Amino acid sequence: MSVLVEVQGLKVYFPVRRFLKTVGVVKAVDGVSVALEKGETLALVGESGCGKTTFGKALLGAVKPFAGKIYFDGQEINSVDDRQLEAIKRRIGAVFQDPYSSLNPMFTIYRIVEEPLVVHGIGSPKDRKETVFKALEDVKLVPAEDFAYKYPHMISGGQRQRVAIARAIISRPEFIVADEPVTMLDASIRVEILLLLREIQRKLGLTMVYITHDIATAKYFSDRIAVMYAGKFVELGPTKDVLKNPSHPYTQALIDAIPDPDPRNRLSFRKVVGGEPPSLINPPSGCRFHPRCPFFMQGKCDASEPPLYSVGPDRFTACFLAEHQS
Amino acid sequence: MLLRVENLFLYYESERGIVRAVDGVGFELGTKETLSIVGESGSGKSSLALGLIRLPPKNTAKYAGEIFFDGLDVMKLSDEEFRKKVRLNGIAMVFQGAMNTLNPVIPIVKQVAEPLIQGFNIPKNEAHQKAVETLSYLGIKPEMASRYPHEFSGGMRQRVAIAMALVTNPKIVILDEPTSALDIITQANIMNLLKKLKNEIGTSYIFITHDLALASELADKVAIMYAGRIVENGPAEKIFNSPKHPYTQLLIESVPTLRAERVPKFIPGAPPDLINPPSGCRFHPRCPYMIKGKCEREEPRITTVDGDVRVSCWLREEM
Repeated sequence: MSVLVEVQGLKVYFPVRRFLKTVGVVKAVDGVSVALEKGETLALVGESGCGKTTFGKALLGAVKPFAGKIYFDGQEINSVDDRQLEAIKRRIGAVFQDPYSSLNPMFTIYRIVEEPLVVHGIGSPKDRKETVFKALEDVKLVPAEDFAYKYPHMISGGQRQRVAIARAIISRPEFIVADEPVTMLDASIRVEILLLLREIQRKLGLTMVYITHDIATAKYFSDRIAVMYAGKFVELGPTKDVLKNPSHPYTQALIDAIPDPDPRNRLSFRKVVGGEPPSLINPPSGCRFHPRCPFFMQGKCDASEPPLYSVGPDRFTACFLAEHQS
Repeated sequence: MLLRVENLFLYYESERGIVRAVDGVGFELGTKETLSIVGESGSGKSSLALGLIRLPPKNTAKYAGEIFFDGLDVMKLSDEEFRKKVRLNGIAMVFQGAMNTLNPVIPIVKQVAEPLIQGFNIPKNEAHQKAVETLSYLGIKPEMASRYPHEFSGGMRQRVAIAMALVTNPKIVILDEPTSALDIITQANIMNLLKKLKNEIGTSYIFITHDLALASELADKVAIMYAGRIVENGPAEKIFNSPKHPYTQLLIESVPTLRAERVPKFIPGAPPDLINPPSGCRFHPRCPYMIKGKCEREEPRITTVDGDVRVSCWLREEM
């Protein structure tokens, strides 16, 4: 296997302005490294405000990093010239959370799906037509003729997300960033869209980053999982291993917080950590989870930042508890 | 029975036609009992809540049915009687996104005390005292009570919203997606809090949610709503462990589970349009057990099976 996307020490900071002065920075992503193998799906899991969406945007080249490097197939996307960047962007697709606002309401489905081909100047109009119909069939909007000339408001939320997926795969990308692609959809169709994404990903051999707050869906639709807290990866490893045997207290807390449908749940209290995720302007010192952590060690966790310790095959955790394990 | 609802209808006018949001719904709720109403978006579950507290929106086309609460025929009460006997300390509601509807320029303690002062003519300082007690019971320290909403996190503001509903000691609290805008861990905290209230105060809850797993955190009984109707209603154990309606079965199978090893399935198709719902059983176009010539023609009646599970499905009727 070879690496398609590699992120090294990525930091994305946003200035906080009050009137015209910069009064601070939001450290949305603060030193993250990961390498994605070709054909792999990485789930990026975290609560709102942990920086997962910003990380996804950085991968798409939509925000400039403050520091760090992002390599796509060996090329660093923030140091290539515009023409090379365009060529790279052609090889990357995106699916966003809200299928109600990410599709232009004035365009037909056909035009929405065709757009990336037009922008990148791929194919003649006749070739494009064939490609668009093929993509609509790939996402099971069949018969494609029935959907192609409808407008977004005429189709359901699940169908819109299929259109968004068709648009993302139309230029035959190698890499897809899917940011909460099913969060806005109804429970009964979420799994359908995820299975479709999985099927397309396998068929086309795509590499994918699946950004979600829902660790339960990550279980079924990813090979590896990265748990993010306050701008940092706290745990990284194969999905099954991480969920079965989490090594970071925050991962454990996330898992404990999620109920399975079970009528016995009401009879007992759920084990849960207190507090709220910290501000990214003034994150806590040391380990950012220390104020909420049940295993907090004074003088250690609040004094210095834990590095990512290796805790098993392909598994990493940023917790001092693992210091002697590695 | 503390609350009994029969044949409740709530239709809306829209440009495209009449939206049949609540279409003949009936259920019962006992004292100290929690009923969870579970349905997908557009199934009419929030409209049902509005119907229960006599708050039909302006574009209502039809609002009818019978609601008996604590011996009162709610639909026949005058507005003034309804306000005094039901709204003030009978049925309280925590609306969806309530944490974002707090007044930003009034300290939270004043907002929580307001129904006591306005509705019960309780002296101001006494009302404040009660508000502070309620807030502190919900985990907001007395020294925080005079702060403004923007000084609180989402989870804390949701606690304030719950305090506003509980301060008048209502008999029933309707919770409409009380945690849907919160993070997972904060959500678990609020659910623990609601469990504590349920055990200690003994209020009855109607807990409206789209999330079956979350419903199981609180529900003694579960009612599954589909396209404006309750398709199955029964004790939580029976609904989760041996669902009778195909929709309930498929909905449970569609939930990705963290602990159990099973691949989630999905329900083909999409929930129907409430302007033109399908004929017969409204689930028939998506149902794998559809009986041709029957399900799409006639509406299934509500049958009682397995002792106390009420289900409307032709499969159950034939058994």
